[in-house]
Amino acid sequence: MAARGQKRWPLAVLAVIGIGLILAPVAFGMFSKAPDGASMMTSFSPFMTRHRLDGFQADMRYIGNAVTQGQRAIHDTDGTPAGARTVAHVAPQFHAFARQWVAVNSDMGGMLVKIKANLPNYQAVAAMPSFRLFPWFFVIPGAILLLLAGAGLIRRGAWRALRWVAIVLGVGLILAPVGFQMFSRAPKGAQMMTTFKTIETLHHLRRIQGYFSEMAGGQGVVQLQLLPALRHADLSAAQIHARYPALGALDANWVHILNDMTPMIAAMSNNIGNYQAISSLPSFRLFPWFFVLPGLLVIVIALVGGARRGRGAADPGRRNVFNPVNQGVT
Amino acid sequence: MTNRVKLRLSAALVAAAVPMVAAVPALAAKQLHGVFHIGSGSYIRMGTPKGGFFPNPYSKDSNKSYTLIASGVGGGVRTGVEQRAPSPAFDSHGNSRANSIITPTNFTGILFGVVTTAPPSFYLSGDKLTAHIRHWYAEWNKQTFLQGAIASGTYNSRTHHYVLSWHTKVHGGPFDGYTGYWRLSGTFSPT
Repeated sequence: MAARGQKRWPLAVLAVIGIGLILAPVAFGMFSKAPDGASMMTSFSPFMTRHRLDGFQADMRYIGNAVTQGQRAIHDTDGTPAGARTVAHVAPQFHAFARQWVAVNSDMGGMLVKIKANLPNYQAVAAMPSFRLFPWFFVIPGAILLLLAGAGLIRRGAWRALRWVAIVLGVGLILAPVGFQMFSRAPKGAQMMTTFKTIETLHHLRRIQGYFSEMAGGQGVVQLQLLPALRHADLSAAQIHARYPALGALDANWVHILNDMTPMIAAMSNNIGNYQAISSLPSFRLFPWFFVLPGLLVIVIALVGGARRGRGAADPGRRNVFNPVNQGVT
Repeated sequence: MTNRVKLRLSAALVAAAVPMVAAVPALAAKQLHGVFHIGSGSYIRMGTPKGGFFPNPYSKDSNKSYTLIASGVGGGVRTGVEQRAPSPAFDSHGNSRANSIITPTNFTGILFGVVTTAPPSFYLSGDKLTAHIRHWYAEWNKQTFLQGAIASGTYNSRTHHYVLSWHTKVHGGPFDGYTGYWRLSGTFSPT
């Protein structure tokens, strides 16, 4: 039991804060959502490099250049007698792909620009401790506070010593987000989450899958129809290569483009649920304050709750010290 | 006998009868052992989540939504045997090296193959053929897609000609939400 006269309210408030910290991750569903966030970060990591993102944009350029030069090749040859026999038959399919490409390039190209702009934001979040640890950043200080409060209530006069432990813990809670650079990184994470809001959706995935189908179809038209048609239109392979190098470049790089793009679409597809889980947590911007505010509160309680109310009032244990006057010894 | 007791007895009889009735075809079915060769008329089509089919420009069929497939070096699907991927399963371009069940086939520029990771089993009841090929996977571009199911079709015991079809939805990956529509057709060589 607490010593008679010892203030109990600071211990009670510390216990409440401790319980609050322990329950916060449970209330936010962090134990299930934080690992989903960690999985998302891991899945995205192979793609979230400048080199890889530049590569995706280069892939898009291969296709875009092939569309431009394919249109020119059709324009150049379909007026010739040989072209009218061969290239003219391919033209409707190629022009259909060229029309599709406008939308594909605009949407996917725009998406890549957005993702690239968010690379520093992703890197900031990736530099923070793993999402998997986040619930424990609340639970462990909460449990320590609860233990301190419990010890203070059980052990007579322990509060004077325990409150210094509480102050240290409070300072630790305040310094943790500073140490992890959460004040700069968490808002970047929030920005990344906002950007991904329109990217990591089933609706958007279906669009990207549709674009993939259109690009695959377009490459097939170039490789299997347009290039053979040009060869049959009295153009040698060397002439085609010299006049329309982008057509051959698309063919030469197509497998690489597939190797690049399908894993990216897979990562988008596999992380829709993970993104939704992590986005249902409170905003990243608030995370530093989830540490700082309880830390400040603990320090204030420890200081106020330990203040002397008057002479002799600060140390109730002193009342039990043998006092010859009180004991009638003269 | 009270109404309640009658009701309970009836329920117990129905509960006992349902699995027995369901088991009758299985009991009557004869298990087939051998090789199901994959011949002409065999294909896969990829149904898109929005409806329609994914056109494979490299398909040998005039309708590009049909990707035609044919037996690989293993002769087709072997009953009671796993036909796994070799190691490594893919070449550096992502072409599947699994060539036992089907000959690796071009899909959008990259070859796909088929593997089984558990022995398939085939049952014949009259002319009705049922294939337990739940662990049937398509491999393409360094990725693996579960396409297994319980397939059904027909078998002509005289000509040994069979037809099997099934469809399986893809979960996750670049083709999430797509449905693979498979049809195998050819002859069966019993062992």
